[in-house]
Amino acid sequence: MHKATFEQRPQRVALFVTCMVDMLYPGVGIATCELLEKNGVEVVFPEEQTCCGQPAFNAGYRDEARKLARRFLSIFGPLVESGEVDAVVAPSGSCATMTSHFFEAIFQESKELDLSHQAERLASVTFELTEFLVDVLGLVDTGAHLQGKAVYHPCCHLYRELGVDEQPRKLLDSVEGLEMVDLPHAQDCCGFGGLFAIKNSGISAAMGRAKARSAQQSGADAIVLCDVSCMTHINGILSREGVSCRAHHIAEVLNDHLGSSLTTPSTPPPAQADHPRRWGE
Amino acid sequence: MSVRDTILSRLKATLNQPDLPFPPQDSDPLTQAERMTVTHAPGDRWAQAERFAQELNAVKGSCELLETETEARLSIISRLQLWQEEEQSARKTANAERAGDWDVLCWPLHQLQIESLPLILKEMGFKLIEPTDLHDPEQRERIRSIRAGITTVEAAFASTGSFVVGGRGANARAASLTPFRHLVVIPFSKLFATGEDWLAQMRFAGQLDAFVRQSRNLSIVTGPSKSADLEGILTMGVHGPKVVHAILFDDVHE
Amino acid sequence: MQVDFHAPYKDRVRQALSDPNLRSAVSRATDRMSDARHTSMDSIEGQKLRTQVRQMKEHVLRNWPEYLEQLETNLTSNGCTVHWAEGIEDAQAIVKDIALQNSAKLIVKSKSMATEEIHLNHAMEEAGLRVVETDLGEYIIQLADEPPSHIVAPVIHKRLEEIAEVFQEKLDMPPTREPTKMTSLARARLRQEFFAATMGISGCNFAIAETGTICIVTNEGNGRMVSSMPRVYVAVMGIEKLVPTVEDAYLQLQALCRSATGQNLTVYCSMTSGPRQEGDVDGPEQVHVVLLDNGRSRMFARGYGEALMCIRCGACLNACPVYQEIGGHAYGSTYNGPIGAVITPALAPEIGQFKELPHATSLCGACREVCPVKIDLPRLLLDLRSDLVQQGVSPKSEAWGIKSYASLMSSRRTYESLGKMASIGSNVYAGLSGGNIKFMPPPLNGWTAYRDFAPFAPKSFRHWWRQRKKLRGQT
Repeated sequence: MHKATFEQRPQRVALFVTCMVDMLYPGVGIATCELLEKNGVEVVFPEEQTCCGQPAFNAGYRDEARKLARRFLSIFGPLVESGEVDAVVAPSGSCATMTSHFFEAIFQESKELDLSHQAERLASVTFELTEFLVDVLGLVDTGAHLQGKAVYHPCCHLYRELGVDEQPRKLLDSVEGLEMVDLPHAQDCCGFGGLFAIKNSGISAAMGRAKARSAQQSGADAIVLCDVSCMTHINGILSREGVSCRAHHIAEVLNDHLGSSLTTPSTPPPAQADHPRRWGE
Repeated sequence: MSVRDTILSRLKATLNQPDLPFPPQDSDPLTQAERMTVTHAPGDRWAQAERFAQELNAVKGSCELLETETEARLSIISRLQLWQEEEQSARKTANAERAGDWDVLCWPLHQLQIESLPLILKEMGFKLIEPTDLHDPEQRERIRSIRAGITTVEAAFASTGSFVVGGRGANARAASLTPFRHLVVIPFSKLFATGEDWLAQMRFAGQLDAFVRQSRNLSIVTGPSKSADLEGILTMGVHGPKVVHAILFDDVHE
Repeated sequence: MQVDFHAPYKDRVRQALSDPNLRSAVSRATDRMSDARHTSMDSIEGQKLRTQVRQMKEHVLRNWPEYLEQLETNLTSNGCTVHWAEGIEDAQAIVKDIALQNSAKLIVKSKSMATEEIHLNHAMEEAGLRVVETDLGEYIIQLADEPPSHIVAPVIHKRLEEIAEVFQEKLDMPPTREPTKMTSLARARLRQEFFAATMGISGCNFAIAETGTICIVTNEGNGRMVSSMPRVYVAVMGIEKLVPTVEDAYLQLQALCRSATGQNLTVYCSMTSGPRQEGDVDGPEQVHVVLLDNGRSRMFARGYGEALMCIRCGACLNACPVYQEIGGHAYGSTYNGPIGAVITPALAPEIGQFKELPHATSLCGACREVCPVKIDLPRLLLDLRSDLVQQGVSPKSEAWGIKSYASLMSSRRTYESLGKMASIGSNVYAGLSGGNIKFMPPPLNGWTAYRDFAPFAPKSFRHWWRQRKKLRGQT
């Protein structure tokens, strides 16, 4: 897919926060917003946004997916095309894949070529958070601090559809105090898979337990990843299995939301964050 | 309409659909010029022979590289003697009742282009079996328990340690297949850097099509028979030879 | 516990998941094959090889009827007999007739997925013929009366101890777990069969159109045996298994071997162009080629032609985390793993006959990464899901759920109020069960059967955003 190159550093971006982050993990959204602002990018949050339609697409309901895709395009499309924002940023590889890969395909399928072209244009300026920080802003160090040992789990859509892997790893490597260790079979899917987690919950959970075993083998205190959907699944497994290790979204790591150490009880989150939620709190 | 025509017309109808998602309208064939050579074996014939040996060893075959036809002759003889001794001692330990003749299933040995080899082998007491019809029950029975076979090759590929055996005329397919041990004699003139090189030369000479058809059967062989079906544990000699030993000799002297 | 191939999908999966031996056997073997593939493809220009084989296969399918006709003409002029089979029954009948005409009582077979697809062994046995599988793995599962569970490694689901038990029980083998002893025993037994059989049957890894040549690939040599020793040789090939030229065949051969087992080349690639002629020492007197459609032309018309490029290397099975958990039998189909989940419903008369399979995947994309012809398997699985919906095969409750979700998400107002309700509800509920939700009603009980669910956030991101805006005095 063709990605836009910026002659000037982008000034302003639209935040595609994703419905899961909005409703379940506002802390991730806050961290994303603050990371961008700290690095000199103004954030616009189009409040009309809801869900991109991936659950419908994933389950095979293309008409319903198109309905939500049309809605999404009508919100983000004009912002980009009018030049009001330079890019769209999402703290999720999976939702970014939906809007930047699958939208185009589903409108081609329905022969709505205007929409498919609009989706294509939008896709060229849509970035997953770490992709934007590293590739567009040229950031390598967010100045974050965190004591402990962690592994990075590459979520499938981010890794295989968007081809983003080096970027989050680079950012994590520069977190002071954080020791990144190898996750055995890192590229194996955690087993979430959207509807799969419900329809084939037994297989999904078995895959999740395999991921949990790998994380335990690595001796890490935490799993860091870029998608809250996979995070929900992995943490659900870890919690049920009674394993103390937890998965965290990278934005919270990079924005110092997890306190000073992964192993000691965390300090309270920044006041303005309005209780960014944590697993099991 | 026949089944054939039904199937073909269905395919044609599908291909005529204007918005068929696959295959693309402009699907060009892979041309001779663009088709890649997968593995390479650079260097002169000796370098290639060494590469052949290295590759064959890697798949649990074995190999000797010799400078002359005379050396090759000696090597063939001593290899067969060695095998005979090994087999006989194995039989003794297994208390087998029959330790008798040492038969060797072979292609007509003049093909090996090694002077007086058949004569010497016969003098040494080897029984060279050159069957004429393996659907004949008697001849078929005769080769059933043969432990060694000798053949030469149509071609050999250095980059993969492979050789090609054909199956026409007096060249029994069985000679490189049913015995427990296969001795394969490869003159340098039959050695090519890669399979792709060999095919290109045959194509260029206008012989490829006829050669493939008239061979009835061509087998590309890369090492001894093996299986990993038992829990991934490698076992050798499942149906074909357990031992493949190649003797390469320089008949080119560049 | 063994997976009952004929049980319903959910039961098969449950049986597979509750068998720890299965998981360890399968994942160890698939890891080994995956590593070998990886090393092998990395040692060459692997991406270029994949691109080129794909280009060649695309070209073949774009000119499919012409290449089939060319193959037929050349096979015929080489002295082979060509048969066309529409489906399972006529394919079985063709092979049965050839056997009866030649008074064949004993048939030796080399591993073939196409013949699995048409349940050939069963049909031949019903006709009173004895069929012996000669690939070591196939031989074992034939003795154990099981179907293969992997495209290239049929007995991948069994551990050595289990195989030894089969040999002891069926072949009176003295107790041993020595692989070499087991192999020798199989060699000796099968050697008798090769020499006695009148007829040999194989599949076809690829057929060369320009020369009329059937190629079969094996490591053990059984492919050469069945195509050389008996008087009659029958190759059953799917009509898509075509390559234009000898050079194309050699290219695809290398892609196949490297992707399947990580070998540069398999031990044997046996290429048969015709029957024995006057003066030949051996070789079959008759060569029959059965061109099998069995849904392929239907699958092509349905728009799933991309999966007809498959060269049956099994790399996608080895890479698939779902396959690693459940093995092949749980799929309940001849072809399993990601490619099986695509082609099984796509080949079937009705896609809905295998409605579970397009959902038996997390769509992680590991399969596409390793496919030697770069088939976009996740995309095809998504398309199948869409077809299932279109055909009304998906559960009504699911359709209702998705439609309601889509309309709720179509309005910011309903989205926000739904979020608030979910937040209050889930927090109250979670509070009662110690912070995490341990049970949810159907269909979400699929989630809580194995995982906890943390409640919605007390306040959403957009709430924070608005508060902040207010604090900053923005409107």
